[in-house]
Amino acid sequence: MMTSTLLKGLRVVELCEVWAGPMAGSLLGDLGADVIKVESFPRNSMTRPLATVQPWPGEGPAFERSPIHHLSNRNKRNVALNLRSEGGEEAMRRLLAETDVFFEGYSAGTVEGLGFGWEVAREINPRLIYLSLPGWGAKGPYQGYVTLGSGLDAAAGHTIVRGYPDHPVEDTQPIFHSDATGALAVVFAVVTALRQRELTGEGAFVDISQIEILNWHLPALVADWAVNGRRTERVGNADPLIVPHGCYRAAGGEAGEESWVFIAAEDDRQWSALAGALGHPEWATRGHPWATIQGRIAHRDEIDRALAEFVGAGTAEEIADRISNAGAIASPVIAPWSLLANPQHQSRNWLQYVDHPYVGTQVFPGFLWSVQPDAASWDRPTGLVGECNREVLAGLGFTEAEIEDLYAQGAVGDRYG
Amino acid sequence: MTTNATTRPLAGRLIVEVGGSVPVAAAAKLFSDYGADVVKVEVPGGAPLRRIGPFPGDVPGLELGAFHVALDTGKRSLTLDVETPSGFEVFQRLCETADLVLMHQAPELARDLRDSLRALEHPPHVVALTEHGLDGPYAGRPENGTSLFAWTGRMRQHSLPDEEPLRYAPYVPEMQWGATAAAVANACLWSSEHGGGPREVEVSAVEAMTGNVDTWFINWEFQGAEWPRSVGQSRAAYPAGCYECSDGYVVFASANPPFFNRLCEAIGRPELATDERFLSPAEKALHFDEFFAILDPWLRARTRDEVFTYLQSYGVMVAPVLDVSEVVTDRQAVARGSFVEHALPSGGSTLLAGPPFRLDDAWRHDLAPRVGEHTDEVLRDLGYSTTERLALFRAGVTG
Repeated sequence: MMTSTLLKGLRVVELCEVWAGPMAGSLLGDLGADVIKVESFPRNSMTRPLATVQPWPGEGPAFERSPIHHLSNRNKRNVALNLRSEGGEEAMRRLLAETDVFFEGYSAGTVEGLGFGWEVAREINPRLIYLSLPGWGAKGPYQGYVTLGSGLDAAAGHTIVRGYPDHPVEDTQPIFHSDATGALAVVFAVVTALRQRELTGEGAFVDISQIEILNWHLPALVADWAVNGRRTERVGNADPLIVPHGCYRAAGGEAGEESWVFIAAEDDRQWSALAGALGHPEWATRGHPWATIQGRIAHRDEIDRALAEFVGAGTAEEIADRISNAGAIASPVIAPWSLLANPQHQSRNWLQYVDHPYVGTQVFPGFLWSVQPDAASWDRPTGLVGECNREVLAGLGFTEAEIEDLYAQGAVGDRYG
Repeated sequence: MTTNATTRPLAGRLIVEVGGSVPVAAAAKLFSDYGADVVKVEVPGGAPLRRIGPFPGDVPGLELGAFHVALDTGKRSLTLDVETPSGFEVFQRLCETADLVLMHQAPELARDLRDSLRALEHPPHVVALTEHGLDGPYAGRPENGTSLFAWTGRMRQHSLPDEEPLRYAPYVPEMQWGATAAAVANACLWSSEHGGGPREVEVSAVEAMTGNVDTWFINWEFQGAEWPRSVGQSRAAYPAGCYECSDGYVVFASANPPFFNRLCEAIGRPELATDERFLSPAEKALHFDEFFAILDPWLRARTRDEVFTYLQSYGVMVAPVLDVSEVVTDRQAVARGSFVEHALPSGGSTLLAGPPFRLDDAWRHDLAPRVGEHTDEVLRDLGYSTTERLALFRAGVTG
């Protein structure tokens, strides 16, 4: 295995917290860029609490052991700068001067307030690609508004369609899908903007709105409104055009008491496979009321009952395998621990076993893509606060004495609290 | 929006898209929207995603499905049966001139196509979208977006105790999978523009979704216990989740300082921020009802929009719960042009999401092609003679 070289030679500076921005930084690191994360200091980052909230592994500072922080901070170097100090500001100026890409994920206006808005940054480095990714974008009447992914999910019209049809809105769970989609969009935008720089010879500002990215991922919602004047309602797992299409509770399985199987038959061929797997090939023979798409739509409830009975008599994994092997769609609704037992992940060596000074060896979900010949590798576990301060500052021309001064002034640091 | 095609960032790149699904079309759309020449290879009869609605007036048609209209913008359509030797030869010749091939096929065919491209004199990058990967015991499992979602652990997290696990909106998994493929594919292009060789990439849907954020495996791994599933309104770390106002709902994410403190101040109860009942996580979990009794009447006396704008002026994390009719008329969306009007081939228009990122005037949304609209043009460009083009059409290899 060799480290990815796809973005080799590019330097990226990340000034972000929580998930969307940091995950983008890790993905760019996975692709071979030299990513430097500028960590908040002296205020601790949002995903780095000062005290453990749950029993986290290992010993040492809580802010080095938080799982949601570890999820999105591999493959970068960490410097912790106090941007409100003279020394921290100078370090940031030098970083911006020597980087290809800078991206920040604070609410619109925050980084300008720190003195590093686009207009200042382009003076420092005219070839800089500068991306801002506030929740609602860099410009517009919501400038300065604060949010997490759950707020964007609600304001994009996703929350209102994904709850249980028979439950009040209050029961709809907050999710953070826009963090996942935002991270991906940043990677695509970075590479596209770098190409623009080659065409124009100049840097560029990229305004990224995380909610607009989420809109991009929901084309059917807006189309149904635009062409049919319909507001999509909460449909749960049922698909108006596909029967069956839902989850059925199993007698047990790897997920324990709450073991479910998702089953679908999208056409007659899959239905025939499903009927055969259930020991009722006659359900798919001509003349049977369920043999046709039309008949299955008319008999949705009976089919659901028949499937519920069948699934309720076995374990989720056995049933899903049996149906899937026959040629219909079936998957267990997995619990976290099932990732470890998943023979597919084992076969592809997908899970990553990573050592970290404070949390020991932990298993992480693997990379989002597999590239040959230069696959991604987990070269750096989650960076400790300020772990690379000295190395990065020295690279920016600070002498050893100057670096000591920066520490003494509190302009840089390597711990919180 | 008009711009000089030669200055758009992806101008001059030829991308071949094959497979006809939502994820592969989503992946290729990012390239066509920013200037690449994307040739969409469709099976005779049209790509399967053309059959996915909604359709205007619920009248189905291959040119009017929401995913085709939104995801095939600015592409050229080549109808070709790549599973015939003749079609395969055309495909190879097309790919010889391509920078990148994005494909979503069953594993056996995908491997076959990839291996044949590897043998070309100038092999393009090949990015194969797969459900579980091109190899391994699950490689051939039939899946759809929801079953893939179930494999990621996110579906279990998206459920209430003892209730059926729920999907997100339809096709959300496929879109994420496609956007993942686009990200790595763009990096491949960058690499070969700077001296790197062709890459072979797999983007497994399960890996792409399980490896990203909005997942909770890591919490189980670190804590040895499942991350508590949210029950909507959290009764432990609050306010988080949906709360009712006089005319609708808002969603909060303001359980912790400084957001909780700002909320207390904004509603005229700053002393609550230092009230021992709400300070430590352990104490706070015991006093939800008391806090709710204060916040609920305050919210119900105000509209959703009042709550949103007023609390945001204090820096509270709160957002309105909107339906799609409100999403497209939201002040911010209108001011930014977050949605664009897009002509339909049947007349009339629809709305599309605008640029996923704003980079000068590099983004464009040209019309999606009719099935096979560019077949003849592409074949001519590849040097096929009139006789060959007629013969391929006559045999149903092209369309």
